[in-house]
Amino acid sequence: MTILRIELCGRLAEACGCEVEQAVPTDGLPVHALFAALADAHPRLGEVLARGRVRACVNEEIVPGSTVVTAGDAVALFPPVSGG
Amino acid sequence: MTSAVQLAEAAFDPAALLARFTADLDGEGAVVSFTGHARGAAKDGGVVQVLVLESYRGVTLASMRAIAGEAHARFAITRSLVVHRAGRILPGEAIVYVATASAHRRAAFEAADYLMDRLKTEAVFWKREEGPDGHRWIEPTEGDRADLSRWTAKQD
Repeated sequence: MTILRIELCGRLAEACGCEVEQAVPTDGLPVHALFAALADAHPRLGEVLARGRVRACVNEEIVPGSTVVTAGDAVALFPPVSGG
Repeated sequence: MTSAVQLAEAAFDPAALLARFTADLDGEGAVVSFTGHARGAAKDGGVVQVLVLESYRGVTLASMRAIAGEAHARFAITRSLVVHRAGRILPGEAIVYVATASAHRRAAFEAADYLMDRLKTEAVFWKREEGPDGHRWIEPTEGDRADLSRWTAKQD
């Protein structure tokens, strides 16, 4: 296992701070499984993730749920954007 | 074709931006610019002391570049500049600045209008209003979405 640090953007930070850590297998974890692991570990964040409007951003690209994240990836969770 | 987007972490001067933009013209006959300023009142009339715009720099800039690129593809503009504030913005300060140039006025007007409608709904920012009674997260309004849909309808 390896520890992945995940940045929480916008209102997601209100659920459990600007950043959370999550243990993931050394060979990585798909984003949808990462969401499930985060929801187990952080029920308040889980409530927000359950609404289905949060997107994962990996290395500055918004990615689908099937994308595998591994140690060293810059991972952030984006709630719906406000626009400018 | 020249297109520039910038994310400003501190207050900027729209007049200075316009002066520089205009100085760079190369024979265009039209320049349109728009500046959006932070309001001191929320939609419900409550006091807004600070508007906070969170961004995710690389992705936010990419979203602004994509919108500017589509404006150039769609309208006969020769140059554009988009500057967007991030961070803590006080009422009255400029939040967003858009300038466009074209040979004739219509394209510059329409492209500036289009840029603002896209930026207001799709640029990667998370916005909250802070007031004396706490804070509130802001999402695009129905009005913003209706403004955006004008361009979709025109394309069909």
